Formats: sequence, C-alpha cells, structure tokens
Amino acid sequence: MRIRNLAMAAFGFMALCSVSGCRKHAETPKADPLLAAYDSEADWNDSTKMIPLSYQQGQGKRVFYQYCVWCHADATPAGPSNRSNLTPVPPLLNDGATLNAESDEYMQNIITLGGSAMGKSAMMPPYGRTLSAEEIRAVIAFTRSIAQPPYQPPGRPGSQYSAK
Amino acid sequence: MPAEEMGKVTDRMRFVFAVSSLIFLAVLAISPFKDYRREWKQYKRSYLRFAQGRPDTKRLTADYSPDIDQIWLPGMNVVDRCTTCHQGITQASLTDKSVPQPFRAHPPIPHNVRDWGCTICHRGQGPATEVAEAHESTLAWEQPVLPTHFIQASCGTCHQYDLPQTPQLARGRQLLAELNCQGCHKLQGIERPAMLGPDLSSIGTKVSREWIYKWLKEPRTIVDKDGNVTVDGYETEEEPRMPKFRLTETELRALTAYLSAQKAKPFTPYKISSAVVAAWSKNPELISQGELRFRQMFCSTCHSLAVTRAGETKLIGGDIGPELTKVGSKINPDWLVGWLRDPEAYLPHTRMPRYGWSDEDLYKVTQYITTKLVDSDLLSDVPKLDPPTEQEIQLGRRLFTEKGCASCHVIEGLNPQKDFGPDLSALGGKNASELEFGTAKIPHNLLSYIQAKLQDPASVNPAARMPQYNWNQADLDAVTTALLSMKGAPATSALQNLVVPRKEASFHPTGSFAELYERYKCYTCHKFNGYGGDLAPDLTYEGSRAQRQWLVDFLKSPQTLRPTLILRMPQLNMSDKDAATLADYLSMVMQHPRVNPATIETKQFTPSMATLGKQLYEVKYQCQSCHTIGGTGGYVGPNLNNAGGWLTPAWIEAWLKNPQALVPDSIEPRRNFTDEEIKALTAYLMTLRAGIKPQKVALNTGALASGQGAGR
Repeated sequence: MRIRNLAMAAFGFMALCSVSGCRKHAETPKADPLLAAYDSEADWNDSTKMIPLSYQQGQGKRVFYQYCVWCHADATPAGPSNRSNLTPVPPLLNDGATLNAESDEYMQNIITLGGSAMGKSAMMPPYGRTLSAEEIRAVIAFTRSIAQPPYQPPGRPGSQYSAK
Repeated sequence: MPAEEMGKVTDRMRFVFAVSSLIFLAVLAISPFKDYRREWKQYKRSYLRFAQGRPDTKRLTADYSPDIDQIWLPGMNVVDRCTTCHQGITQASLTDKSVPQPFRAHPPIPHNVRDWGCTICHRGQGPATEVAEAHESTLAWEQPVLPTHFIQASCGTCHQYDLPQTPQLARGRQLLAELNCQGCHKLQGIERPAMLGPDLSSIGTKVSREWIYKWLKEPRTIVDKDGNVTVDGYETEEEPRMPKFRLTETELRALTAYLSAQKAKPFTPYKISSAVVAAWSKNPELISQGELRFRQMFCSTCHSLAVTRAGETKLIGGDIGPELTKVGSKINPDWLVGWLRDPEAYLPHTRMPRYGWSDEDLYKVTQYITTKLVDSDLLSDVPKLDPPTEQEIQLGRRLFTEKGCASCHVIEGLNPQKDFGPDLSALGGKNASELEFGTAKIPHNLLSYIQAKLQDPASVNPAARMPQYNWNQADLDAVTTALLSMKGAPATSALQNLVVPRKEASFHPTGSFAELYERYKCYTCHKFNGYGGDLAPDLTYEGSRAQRQWLVDFLKSPQTLRPTLILRMPQLNMSDKDAATLADYLSMVMQHPRVNPATIETKQFTPSMATLGKQLYEVKYQCQSCHTIGGTGGYVGPNLNNAGGWLTPAWIEAWLKNPQALVPDSIEPRRNFTDEEIKALTAYLMTLRAGIKPQKVALNTGALASGQGAGR
C-alpha cells in the first residue's frame, strides 16, 4: 500500500512539474505599441494618407512649420505662401525629385550657411545661428520622411544584415 | 507484517527505490532546463548571434553579460530590467528600421536612456523579466506600456511648463482649460480663472426664455448621422465651450424659467440721439454703412461670422468672443446698445474692450447686427413657453446647482457645490482596479477608460453627470495625453526635484495707464511681461522698439504691418489724450534693459552709409525675400515701407545683432553682420518713411476669406 502511495505521489509530482514546465510562455505577438508613431503628417500629395513620424522627424516638422513653411510650401498656417514671390522659386519640401539627390551633409550646409555660401540664391538665409545643429538634422529627417518620390537612404554597411 | 521481516530489504523494495530515484532525478533535471529556456535568456543568446552577424560585433558585445541587466536609480524608484532584452538601446549603429526588435536603438531624444531608465516615460513594469509581464497589465501589475502616440503625457509629468517639443500635450492642456474642465474637476497645473462661463446674474435682460431653451437643448452643436459637427449649421473644427447636457423636458422648462427670471442688474435703455435716428433710419445706406463700420472696427478679430464662398460655408474671424452669425435673433436690441457702450457694466470680467462710440456709429452698427445677422427660423423648433411659474423657478434654481451649471456660471447669491466632479489631478497614475468600468466592453486599462469616458460619459457610468462633448480624434487624443500626464505630486521619489514648475507671469500696472489698460483690454491680445494673450505682438519691449509718435498714430488709427493677416488691431476710437497716455507709458516703461532708444543719435547716419545699406539689403543679403519695401518683396516679415517712422535705430541695431535676444521665437534668422554692415543697414532703414493714411477696408468678403493668421 505504502509503496503504491509513494509511487503515485512521485508520479503526481512529476506530472505537476511537467505541466508547469510546458506552460506556454509567449503568446502570439501583438502589435508593438512602441512602434506606433510619435507624430504624423498628411502626405502633401494625398491628404488621406498619413505618414508616421518618429520623435526626431516630429521635431523637424515643428521647426519646419515655424521657420521654413513660409517659402517651402504652397499653403501656410497664415494663408497664402511667400513662395510665388521669389525667383528662383524655392523647392517644395516634399519635392523628392530635387531633394532626394542631395546628401544629408549638403542639406545641413545649405540650411546652416545659407544659399549664397553654397552657390545658390542669397534669398535662402543662413539658419546656423538661429537653429541648433540638432534642429537642422531634425528638419532634414522630416524632409526625407515626406519626400515624393520616397527617399531611399544611400547604401550603408550594416543595413544588409538582419537578425537571422 | 511479521516481526522478523521488519528491516529486511527485499528486491522489490530495491526496485521501487531505484525507480523513484530515477523519477526524482528526471524531475530535478527539468529545473536547469527550464532555467536555460527562460525568455530573457533566449533574447540574450539571440542578441549575441545577431551581433556576430554585424560588422561592429566588438562594440556591440563590449558590455555584454549573460545575466540580467538593469538600470537602478534609487532616488527615482527606478529598477528597469528592460535592457536585459533591449540590449542595443544605446548602440548608435542599431538605429535603422531594419534592425529587429528588441535590439533596435532608441531614437534620438533629449534624455539619455542610461540616466533615466525606461519606465519613467514608457510605463510598464521595470522589474519584470517576462515580455508579457513587462509590457502588458496583469492581475498583479497594472501599468501597461504607454503607446507612443500618448508618450508626451510622460514629458508633461515633470515639465509642467509647456515645451515646444510636445504640441499634443500643450493642445490637450489648452483644451482642458478652454472647455472649463476645471469648473467641476481639480486638475494638476490648471488653475480656475476668475470667470469660466459667462456670469448669468442678469441673463434675463439679454435673451429670451425660448432662446435659452434652444441653447440648453442643443448648445449650437448638431452632430449629424455621419458624425460631422456643425455649429448653427456651419461646420467647425472647434469644440464649442458649452457642452451638451442630457436634460429632460421638465428640466429644460425649469432651468429656462429660472434663468429668464435672472435680472439682477436691470438696465435703462440708452436713447440714441433722435437727430441721428431721424437722419439715418430712412437712409437706404444704413445697413451697408453699419456693415462697413463693423468691418473697419475689426470686430472680426475676436468674433467670427459664417461666410459662404463658392458654395462652401466657413466661419471666418477670431474665437476670443462668441460667433455672431445669428446673434441678431438671440439678443434683446436694447441690451445690445447698452452692452456695446459699456460691456463691463453687464459682465465685470469681460475681455471685450470699451470702444469710444459716437451715436451715429452705435446706431449704424446695432442696426446692421439686428437686421442682417439674423435667422428667422432660429427658434422655430422651440415649443411655446408660458411665463415661468414660481414652481418652475424653484426647481430650476435647485437644478442649476445639481446639474453643475453653477460650477462654471456665476449667479449672484448662489453657491456652487464644492468639488462637483472627481479630482483628476492624479488620474494619470491610477491603476485599473481604481477605475469604474461599469458594463462597458472596453479593455480594462486607464487609457481605454479615459477615452471611453470622454467620448460618452454614460458608457462607463450611466448615472454620470458629466455632459457630452463632441471630439475629433486629434483633440480626444490630446486631452487624453494631458490627463495621463497628471500624476499628482511625486511624493515618494526624487521625481519631485525634477518637476519643472509652470512660469508665473505678473504685470500690475498702476495709474492712468492701468485704467486705460483695463478699459481697452489690451491684455486680451497682447502680452506684457509674460501676462496676456498671444494673438498680437508682445508689447513687453515696445518702448525700445517703436517711436513714440508712431505709437500715438497707430493707436488712433491702427494699420497692419502684415497685409496677409485678417485678425487685426480693432479701431478703438480712442481720444488723443488716451493715445498719448498709452504711448507715453509704453515708451517710458516697456523697455528692454539693453536697448535704450536714447543712446543712439540719428545724426550719425550719413547718406553714404544709407547707400551702402541699400546695396546690402538688395544684393548681398536679399532681405526682399521676406520684407516688402515700396510694393515689392515678400510677405513673411513686416512691411518696411515706414521703418524710419516706426522703429528706433537702437532697436534696429540690436535686432540685426540678435533677433532672438529680443523676441525669442522670432523666425528672422540671426545673421553674422559686421558692425559696419549693421550701421549701414540701420542708416538705410531709417531713410524709409511713408505717411500714415487712414485705413481703407473693402466691403468685399473675399479679403477676409484668404486665410487666417495672427501675431508675428
């Protein structure tokens, strides 16, 4: 009798252990809430399409709508744009055909030093003493995020690697 | 069992013993296996394999250890083990989207992850070592990870003063204040102002009982079956400040009876001179002249009107005062005359200035409002209401406090209930178990609760007294963000040392300036030492900026410096003496400490300097891209046609050196001018002069509809 009890207890214990050991850990992965956007911007060519923005791109959007929108967009928060007043006509910020070809470094320079320093129109003033380098990088990141046709970053070592 | 067999080991027992030993051994072996298979250890090994596939393996694995990593900040109660799995969080080479989670680096933000940990911003359970327990809410742990869309709430927990980087949070806080949520709820960082809704002590002299009925039943807002919100039939993006209360017919009748009987300050109708009435009442131009005056005085800076252009109806104008499209059918015409002459006599806390009126203007404008701004159908769906009975008035008086009306509106002699709505100043830190979900079929967490309650207060609590608002998604999310940011006083941790308080602004003028400042309500639109509205330029340094004579002329006859603006300084019809008093005070007192106009002699500027300056302006720096001189140039900066008659040379020089030192959010870029160039540009700008002509305003509504904008 006692032996049978002992054996049964052992089996019971083992069963318990194996059940707890087999308990499923990871359930089906849900959408990662951390990937949701910090901010978003409607596509300038199709206002029904929303473009998700990261924190940095979101900051670029803020700087853009304060400083740049007046000449680099056709609609501004205060109504008509100053763009049509200017010769040469400044590119729209989402003009991928023009801006995608320019490197981040060139964009950083023309915003920091102004048009005349880069051999372009002096109508583009330098913002290097008004905006921080970080804010200028953010504006460039925003430019890239809304570009049409979409911006493809130049190949970087590392981007071909993945986890698998 | 016989005694002699006791203690004797049989083969059978040996067998059982061996088998059970084996079983125990097997059971024990599960334990190290289970430990090896633990979730975080799998992520650790997976990171190692991942790093080996990258070109910068050495850097990525420099601080790798096979154990649990944690960020421990004892002063802030932070024990975050998130970096156990999120191992690449500070690796600059892992920012790209192609890097799989959980190894991707944190995108660049102003705070260093190592100094702050993760849960202060993202919530979730820092000490947990399993994915589900760290990110989701479980029975034991109730703080799920905050979706990034609402992350600005975490900024607001410490930064109680508005940051430019968190527009959604700022909008949410602004909406909470604008919609008078603090009338019923205690909110963190939002104080109760002197006036929330209008004072109703004399509402019976202003509107009819029928109009109150209509207003209480549908406070202008009508939501059609597609969810489009219209105000008086016009689409709007703004949420009206008066929400919809769910009132029964009896309650409506009682409240309208009570309110229409409120006549604390009876007024004697003002008699417009009979000569004026006789001269104008038969004049066919009366109404159009009234409309012209209405436009010239720039009532539209604060009040909007519905304008139909190309089949599209839009509200055009400011939102400081009420929208006026149908106001002629709302108010008592005698009350209107009294109100326009002296708004403070009816409403002590009003933001409406006391204009200087001639009888002629007053007659024309009131005739225009009561003849043209009307809708004969406005009250057609209101049932016939008899004169109020004493019983109705008594019930209405009780309902006025019980329904929460008294929490926003003042009626003399009536005290609101204390703490009418729940205290929300610590709502953002509440656990799901502290919330009441009722029968609502929503996920049981704080975020879903707040959104459900805001969208339909009755959904989580059928007996809710909270009225109904109609949010668009962006505003709903903004208000949710602001509420989530309110986590009460951070008593238990060093977080309280991190809280950045809201800036207190104060401006207490005295003397004759103070009287005029109150009369013309300058602070409704302008800021003085951080106090006041932000519709119009900040006047804190106006004495350094503008010449005294220009101030006098401008106050007498305001003209905009920015032709694209439709919200402009109203024509206040002030006397010469008032304009001189205001200009004197502004020039003497409102000065920048380092820009004293008296220090610069205008005589030093020579014509040759001005010639050089003109060349710098037009060729080297091409300022015309943003500024207009003589009809050509851009619209971004102010028009400089009269720069020499407007600005002081001291201001121009200081401005050219560093605009942001004078106006921090100015968009004028700070250039690297030499001192000589600054002198030359100043000399040139001082030569620009234009006579001030009276403002001409076209009657054409097209000029108004071109857009909306204000400030600098």
